Amino acid sequence: MTQTSNSNVATMPAELPPSRFQSLLRAIFFQLRKNPLITIGLLIVVGWFLVSIFAPLLATTEPLAQNVTNRLLTPGTTVELSDGSTFTYHMGTDELGRDIFTRVVYGGRITIPAGLAVIIIGSILGTVVGAIAGYAGGLWDELLMRISELFLAFPTIILALAVTAALGPDLNNAILALVVVWWPTYARLVRSLVLEIKSQEFVEAARSIGAPGRYIVFRTILPNAIAPAIVLATLDIGNAILTFAGLSFLGLGAEPSSPEWGRMVAIGIDFFDQWWMWLYPGLAIASLVMAFNFIGDGLRDVSDPRTRNG
Amino acid sequence: MNFYTYFLRRLLFVVPLLFGITIMAFLIANAVPADPVTANLPQNALNDEDLVQAFREKWGLDKPLHEQYFAYIGNLLQGDMGRSIKTGRPVIEDIQQFLPATMELATLSIFIGLVLGVGVGIISAIYRNSLIDYVSRMFSLIGVSFPVFVLALIGLAVLYGQLGIVAGPGRLGFRTADPPHATGFFLVDSLLAGDLDTFQEAFSHIILPAFILGAYVAGTIARVTRSSLLEVLGMDYMRTARAKGLGERRVLWHGVRNALIPVVTIIGLSYGNLLAGTVLTESIFAWPGIGRYMFRASTSQDFPAIMGVSMLIALIYIIVNFVVDMLYFFLDPRIRGEGR
Repeated sequence: MTQTSNSNVATMPAELPPSRFQSLLRAIFFQLRKNPLITIGLLIVVGWFLVSIFAPLLATTEPLAQNVTNRLLTPGTTVELSDGSTFTYHMGTDELGRDIFTRVVYGGRITIPAGLAVIIIGSILGTVVGAIAGYAGGLWDELLMRISELFLAFPTIILALAVTAALGPDLNNAILALVVVWWPTYARLVRSLVLEIKSQEFVEAARSIGAPGRYIVFRTILPNAIAPAIVLATLDIGNAILTFAGLSFLGLGAEPSSPEWGRMVAIGIDFFDQWWMWLYPGLAIASLVMAFNFIGDGLRDVSDPRTRNG
Repeated sequence: MNFYTYFLRRLLFVVPLLFGITIMAFLIANAVPADPVTANLPQNALNDEDLVQAFREKWGLDKPLHEQYFAYIGNLLQGDMGRSIKTGRPVIEDIQQFLPATMELATLSIFIGLVLGVGVGIISAIYRNSLIDYVSRMFSLIGVSFPVFVLALIGLAVLYGQLGIVAGPGRLGFRTADPPHATGFFLVDSLLAGDLDTFQEAFSHIILPAFILGAYVAGTIARVTRSSLLEVLGMDYMRTARAKGLGERRVLWHGVRNALIPVVTIIGLSYGNLLAGTVLTESIFAWPGIGRYMFRASTSQDFPAIMGVSMLIALIYIIVNFVVDMLYFFLDPRIRGEGR
């Protein structure tokens, strides 16, 4: 995403002011050196990405493999297999004898793409709606903004519950429900940015040399509005993952048997004393969300000059 | 601008929003590939054509969409939200039964969040970049990263399971009868009845969920308080206050008062969110509130209930924010000055 936006900047006429994107990148590098939390966050996120990609290599068995004789084993239990070799359940087993460690390792493969999908689809949809509303103005602006207000009047989880209820519980429907909840924030942000940028001189200049509307929106206005939207998106990933895990927890996300963290915690509730069943997947969600929040918190400092020196 | 004009202008803004919400709730409820008939009738009844037909007629499922909507609005204006398919009772009665539990929890949570959040926020801003500031920011960052259901489980395992200093799920123990109904808030009702034992029991049940929800709110409030106070501390009028010789304590009070204006907005938003977002907390703590009711309705395609609750919550959300807007009029002198 970084590169495409930069190439847009590069094709802009030379007399334009230095793009917000470049100054933002510079500020990020400055902040990286100053704020160790961003680095820690990045390391954890990269770590989880690698774990998810190489899950089959890291896992000690199959995520769905059941072994009822070895159910509810405490973490660290080592059992002897029929061929004489031993097998260690690092994080114990669940009520069907599935290896919790393997399931936690595989869990990122569902949660991370789902969270990213919500943010990416939601922010693109919101950006398009916001750009249209801001640039077209008038009746379109009024209509689109009133609609986005309606969506914002419903608290997140209630709207998501209503949508999943209507569509049926399913992984894709959970993502769709969250996109429905997510886009209005971006639409309103991008609209206000477009309104501000629209009146600046370099846009006036582009218009005066007869540039078509499409060129003005996509080449002069949006590249300057995209940086704050990306910052908001980064701030938001943790939130999206949390909400997705919440829907899964309620049984409205991934299918019941799949190794999804929120789902695993939900199953663990019925086995309250077997704390490993809910604690490990819970910590997996928390660590990932925390890492994104560390990054987002640092980025917020970058994007807000009032706190930049703080 | 006088208060009356301000009030009317805001109100004018709210009415179309309310109308839009009914349309949206209705559209969501009807964008259903899932068939409410198959969702709510037992298997043997589905084979009986007459029963299925009677069910469709009863819920108006055989009429065109816009007619269903107008019928719904007509009933709604008379306070009739239809009957819940799941419980078989009028939705409005269900709501009356479940809402007080949620409001009691949300109110106590917002109170805890407010005290904690404003306190920590002010300290963080005054001792900016100190150890206290750093630790409290870390705590709030880590706190908001934990899913509320995981925090709830850890809290239950440690404080209830291991230490036994709080009570477990539910509003009261199995053997305790509900206090006589007055407000629906068990804490208040038990006091009104002079029943201290029940009060104590209700308190030990509510304190853990309220604290967990309150901690979330506190994180947000602390952050807003901190950044808002930092901004105010750098204002010219603070320097003026110091220059004219006010004591540091008076100067600070001056700043805090102004810095808390944005906090009022956050409180309004958080309260609305708490009323709705307690779905997860309520399901873990077996709290018989509106969130659990909504969740049950949404898993059984009980659309009268879903529409009723989502409209009610959106309505509360809007009213709370309307009240916040009204408070702003008194808190922020700039609104009165501007011809906005």
